[in-house]
Amino acid sequence: MKYKLRHLTHYQYSGPATLSHNEARILPRQLPWQTCSNTQLIISPDAIGLSERQDFFGNRVAYFAIEAVHNSLEVVVSSDVETFPRPAQDFFSGTAWEDAAAEMSRAVRTGNRDSIAARLFVLDSPFVMRQPALREYALASFAPGRLLRDALLELNVRIFNEFTYDEDSTTLATPLQEVLEHKRGVCQDFAHLLIGCLRAMGLAARYVSGYMETSPPPGQEKLLGADATHAWVAAFIPGWGWQEVDPTNGCVPDERYIVLGWGRDFADVTPLKGVMTGGGEHKLTVAVDVLPVIDVASERLLI
Amino acid sequence: MQPSGTKDPALRDLLGDYPGHSGHDELLSPNQQPRAHWQPLLAEIVAMGADTLVARSEEAQSLLHENGVTFNPYEDDPGQLRSWRLDCMPCVISDADWSYLEAGLRQRSRLLALLLDDLYGQRQVIDEGLLPPELVYTHPGFLFSAADVPSLVHRPLLIFHGTDVIRDEHGQWQVLADWTQSPAGVGYALENRITLSRALPGVYRDAPIKRLAGFLQAQHRCLASLAGSQRQEPNIVLWTPGPGSPGYFEHAWLANYMNFPLVEGDDLVVRDGQVAVRTLGGLHQVDVIMRQINDPWCDPLELRPDSLLGVPGLMQAARSGHVHIVNALGAGVLEHPALAAFLPNLCQRLLGETLMLRGRDALWCGDLQALEQIRGSMDEWVLRDITRPGKTFRVDQMGLAAVQSLRLDLQSRPHLFTAQKPLQAGVTPGFNPASKTVERQTTTLRFFSAIEADDINKPVNEHSFRIMPGGLAWVGEPGAPLMKSRVVKDIWVLAQAPQPHVSMLRQAQGPILVTRDGKDLPCRVAESLFWMGRYGERLDIRARLLREALGRLLQESPQEAVVTLLPDLLTALGVAPDEEELADELAAIGEHPRFSPEYLLARDRLLNLLTDQAPDGLPMTFSHFVRNSRAVRDHLGDDAWRSVSSIRQRCNAISRTKGVVAGQRLLEAIVIDLAAFFGLCNETMPHHYGWRFLDIGRFIERVLGTLQLLKLALLTANQPGIPLWEVVLATTDNFTVYRRRYRSQLHPSAILDLLLFDESNPRSVGYMLKRLGRQVARLPSTSENTSYRNLENRLIIQATSTLHLVDIDSLADLQHSEDARDILMALLDDLIEPMAELSDAVSHSHFSHVEASRQLVTMDVAH
Repeated sequence: MKYKLRHLTHYQYSGPATLSHNEARILPRQLPWQTCSNTQLIISPDAIGLSERQDFFGNRVAYFAIEAVHNSLEVVVSSDVETFPRPAQDFFSGTAWEDAAAEMSRAVRTGNRDSIAARLFVLDSPFVMRQPALREYALASFAPGRLLRDALLELNVRIFNEFTYDEDSTTLATPLQEVLEHKRGVCQDFAHLLIGCLRAMGLAARYVSGYMETSPPPGQEKLLGADATHAWVAAFIPGWGWQEVDPTNGCVPDERYIVLGWGRDFADVTPLKGVMTGGGEHKLTVAVDVLPVIDVASERLLI
Repeated sequence: MQPSGTKDPALRDLLGDYPGHSGHDELLSPNQQPRAHWQPLLAEIVAMGADTLVARSEEAQSLLHENGVTFNPYEDDPGQLRSWRLDCMPCVISDADWSYLEAGLRQRSRLLALLLDDLYGQRQVIDEGLLPPELVYTHPGFLFSAADVPSLVHRPLLIFHGTDVIRDEHGQWQVLADWTQSPAGVGYALENRITLSRALPGVYRDAPIKRLAGFLQAQHRCLASLAGSQRQEPNIVLWTPGPGSPGYFEHAWLANYMNFPLVEGDDLVVRDGQVAVRTLGGLHQVDVIMRQINDPWCDPLELRPDSLLGVPGLMQAARSGHVHIVNALGAGVLEHPALAAFLPNLCQRLLGETLMLRGRDALWCGDLQALEQIRGSMDEWVLRDITRPGKTFRVDQMGLAAVQSLRLDLQSRPHLFTAQKPLQAGVTPGFNPASKTVERQTTTLRFFSAIEADDINKPVNEHSFRIMPGGLAWVGEPGAPLMKSRVVKDIWVLAQAPQPHVSMLRQAQGPILVTRDGKDLPCRVAESLFWMGRYGERLDIRARLLREALGRLLQESPQEAVVTLLPDLLTALGVAPDEEELADELAAIGEHPRFSPEYLLARDRLLNLLTDQAPDGLPMTFSHFVRNSRAVRDHLGDDAWRSVSSIRQRCNAISRTKGVVAGQRLLEAIVIDLAAFFGLCNETMPHHYGWRFLDIGRFIERVLGTLQLLKLALLTANQPGIPLWEVVLATTDNFTVYRRRYRSQLHPSAILDLLLFDESNPRSVGYMLKRLGRQVARLPSTSENTSYRNLENRLIIQATSTLHLVDIDSLADLQHSEDARDILMALLDDLIEPMAELSDAVSHSHFSHVEASRQLVTMDVAH
């Protein structure tokens, strides 16, 4: 699929800020099944020292500072993204979950490099602390000897079925325990929850941030800015690789999913971080468009 | 009961109960004879005699105390004072022992440098299974943001390194810990050496001890070469968390010794990708930062967002090569206690050598086999949790519930724990001044290494290190932290022959000699100097006033309440009760056979000013003064600092003093100490901007104090007249001058002449305005080229002209003419107003007002 991607982040401050340093993780990664071109980053007011690097996880990070007195900050990224089918399940992904967990806790000397690298994602991270309740919840899907990929898909669907999407129920700071109790949350919470469940089972799981193409209600035209940033999960199947799942929609990500980056949890892939002097309170507006490039008409919508 | 094995009775007395230890003994060989390398020192000590040694030991102690050497962060808080005792008996290391130790320490530094480079680069040690990922990635010192794709500029990460070692029961050296962020103690080691060589000059002059100063020169060269050829006069700063931090004394000491500006987080800012210090002359670019702050707190953008000490954007500046941070951010991961278990293998793999200095026996609990072993024998181990550094768990010293919770933690997060075998240490001798004998001690030694300056641009596998031939030793259980120790020691590394004496202090300066005009003074330092001046002067004025008031208290008849000066003095000190309070308090005091209630009230209110609780009491004013002095410790001479220490001791004693006479004496002493302090500042501080701000602070305070006092004594007092005027003259120390000049009875016009108009009298307002004018005119200015005068100058001109334009005749008859009094009142008010405004104006133009920074996204998560 071909997409025109546009992601706008706007912060309005209640007072003037004199200096700010920022880090943005909003440039899509290059992947075997995803290419990006014509990527543009527009920052206003003018940014100083804009530079791009790759972080520990290989994500693209843009650093910039704003040194003029400013009352708002706007960051717009636009890019042409083309996605292809992700690698399909095959013989090598048919690992029993116990074997996968054993691989993750094997003595280091005998592990293979991909497995050793994946072990970071079994550990606790700032937003995801393993706890018995998570293991208890997950256990129903992990019958002895079951294939990891089957258990994973079932757990993914269970979360989708048993939890309610509710934007008002949680904040960034809502602990996993609470999400589990109230069975409500947003994509971030569900991703963290699934990661926590997998890690509690001794498996490696990482947080993926990105976008998903959404369709307008039947018969209506798609509204600009109606899309949103999204988050899902990838679990490590030793000997095969990372399998993505989306607990918010209970499905397996396909070509409609655009990957920005990944990390241990949200903290590693926060889209826009900043520290400023002054500024007071601030108000955030985000607008995302993931527009499929089908015909000339939809091209015209993008200015 | 123990045969001392020595025939010299004096030596036998000195050794007392020391001999007879069955394990390793530093001092005595197994046949209980002093080892050869201790003999010269023992001979000196015996010759000197125990009593002399006690006296010298006390001398050393008071030297340390006067210099304020302490780890105590709450030095200005009276109840918390705690400092070290410096043992006058050093740890002596023989030439042969040193050769091995030095080689082992150098190897260790090389090994850790290579390991660090790999951990933040290729991470082969993880890929190859030499280090488990769980061990590395869970350590709070492993910074993911420092581990991005390697930059093109190669630079060394590990520059300085500190290692704690101890000799075990078998005489083997064992490493207890590595310090790789900002190893503390070099400054203390030197200070101890300087102190002891002053207290025991004979011993230190003659012994063939390796000198320490060369190592600091080497450190200086390292830092200078890091800045490299980038700029002609590289700016190297020492970054401290501030006066509240336990190591602040050392930070200030090092900054002074190495001639680096001492900066705090608020002094630094990242602009245009460069790190800069906010100075009086604007932003001043920084090339190298010698940091004394732990990794996670250094940059609230990329590291802990809740850090108030850090500098946003610092990591990016370091990443792009615009600034060098020493040691590099992320080096803290090498302080992981479980590395000890992996270093022998790593040494083979990375260096191809056998590890010379073994760590203490340790197991990493993340290893399943190790975990089984530990769970089976929990009471044989000391456990450490890397997320709670400094804390140790010993099952045999814990309650049941605590053990249970520890077992659970160990079960669910084993990779956070390291188990160490308790260590049986050998004994070292220490001199106990109370028993006047040598006693057995357990001593930990900290050694320091620095990369050779010439190797800085070489690849990391070619780095070599230099070890400081000496270090810092402290007494305590093996593994007990330095900060908790009560006794510290010097370390002597013996050389083959006497070493040429290198002057420890100024000669040891590194190659960079920057002539400072003072414009590079951080704004924060200027501000602290200014307030130190103001509070110091305020302390002086109030001490003098209170001294006079206590004097009056003794002179006056305790029965008469009405014709006394006391109410006016209470007003001058700002503690006069208002009418309502007066009635209540007098009623509460009630009748007393010998004293009138008014007298008792005044006495109570005056003595109250000597207590800690009084909001404008002397101890409180002093604590403001000392807080500002501590923040500029590196700008004050040692002698000036000694007078601060002396005032502190007096202030600690002050609140316990309850008598009027004793109070008076203390106040006398404080006045003299303060005079000494400011005198020494004038004598020793370069007369640059820093000193000017100090002086401006003092004189603003003094001019305001004098004007208020004149207003009270001549215009608003209940009981104006000669006794009160005497107080004015005494408070301003002008009694003698007055008498010599006027040889007459006190007269208001003469007082005005002396204290207001006479520009040659340093206590007159006229003189003070002139001095302030001169100082303010020489402050850095942004409008040098224009004839426009800034607000500070205008305010002084305004006050000076007001004073100059007075018609003195109109003030002639103050005692009888209401007009004259009105004119004087207007005059004093017209002088007070611009002077009060001057303080704000100076502050506004020159001091930085850093707003707290905020996070765009707040993430309240556990760290």
